[in-house]
Amino acid sequence: MNGMTLGLALFLLLNLLVALVRVSRGPTPADRLLPALLFGTTGVAILLLLADAMHIPAFVDVALVFALLAAITGAAFARRAWREERETDEPA
Amino acid sequence: MKPAPPLVWAVIWRTALFVLLWWVLSDGRLDSWTVGSGSVALATLLSLRLSPPTRGRVSFPGLLRFLTYFVFQSLRGGIQVAWFAMRPQTGLRPAMREIDLRLPEGIGRVLLINTLNLLPGTLSVELQGRQLCLHVLDEHVSAEAEVRMAETFLARTLRLELEPA
Amino acid sequence: MSLPEIASFILLLAGAVFFFAGTLGLLRFPDVYTRLHALAKADNLGLGLIVLGLLFKAPGAAMSIKLALVWLLALAASATASFLIARRARQHSIAPWRSGEHE
Repeated sequence: MNGMTLGLALFLLLNLLVALVRVSRGPTPADRLLPALLFGTTGVAILLLLADAMHIPAFVDVALVFALLAAITGAAFARRAWREERETDEPA
Repeated sequence: MKPAPPLVWAVIWRTALFVLLWWVLSDGRLDSWTVGSGSVALATLLSLRLSPPTRGRVSFPGLLRFLTYFVFQSLRGGIQVAWFAMRPQTGLRPAMREIDLRLPEGIGRVLLINTLNLLPGTLSVELQGRQLCLHVLDEHVSAEAEVRMAETFLARTLRLELEPA
Repeated sequence: MSLPEIASFILLLAGAVFFFAGTLGLLRFPDVYTRLHALAKADNLGLGLIVLGLLFKAPGAAMSIKLALVWLLALAASATASFLIARRARQHSIAPWRSGEHE
C-alpha cells in the first residue's frame, strides 16, 4: 500500500515537472502565472501522498500551509499586477 | 435594531470555530492548550476587529443543498474537461459570453464568480458592475442556465433576494 | 486487502488520472483560457479524490478534518487564482482561441 502512494506521488511529481516546463515557455505572460494553480493542487497532493507513504504526518501541515499560501499568493500576485496596469494604461 | 445579540452569537460561533481549528491543527493533543487558549482568544478578537459581525445569516439547509450541488457539478466539470483533454481531437468550441447577474453586490457575487470556475465549462473572466464576462468551453451549451442555477443555490444559502435580470 | 483499503486504492488512482488529464489539457489546449479550465477543474477533482482516498486511512477525526481543510483551501486558492489570471489575460488583450484556428 505504501509503495503505491509513493508511486503515485512520483507520478504526480512527473506531471508537475512536465507542466512547469510547458508553462515556462509561455507564450503569454498570463501562462506564466499558472504555477500558482499548479502548486496549490498538484504540489499539495504530492505532499499529502508523501505524508502517507513515508509516515510523516507533519507533511500534512506543510500541505496545509502550501494551500494557504497558494490562496494568498494567487490573489496578491494578480492584484499587484492590476494596480500597475491601472497606473500605466487605464483601459476605456 | 438590536445590536447586542448578533455580537454575542458571533463571539460564541467564532470561538467555537477557532477551538475546533486549534484542535485540528494540534492533532487533538491536550498539552498544547496553554498556547492554544491564548491563540483562540486572540484569533477571535482579531476576527471581530477585521470582519465585524453582520446581520446576514447563512441558511444551513441552503448550504447543504449548495454543497451537494457543488460536489456533483465539480465532478461533472472535471470529467468533462478530462474528456476534452484525452480524446484524439479536443473538439473545443470556446466562446466569450456576457451575462447580467441577478445576485446583489457583495459576498454573493464573489462566491458566484469563484464557484463558476469550478463548474462544468465556465470560467469567470471579468466582472464590471453587474455584468459578468464568462469564458465557456462549448459555445453550444447555455452558460446562462448554469449561472442562473448557481445563483439560485447561493441566494438560498445566503438568504439573498435575486434582482430581476 | 480490506474493503476500505480497496476503496482508498481506487480513489487515489482515480485522483491521479484526473491530474494526468489536467496536465494533458495544459499541453494540448490552445490558449490560456482553455488551459485554465483544464487546471482549475481537473486538478481540483484530482485533489478531491486523493483527499477522499486518504480519508479512508486517516488515523483520527483531527487528521480527517485537517485533510478536508487542505482541500477546501486548495479549492478557494484555485478558484480565485484562475479568475485573477483570466482577468489579467483579458486586460492584456489576449484574444481567446476560436475553433477553426490552428491549435
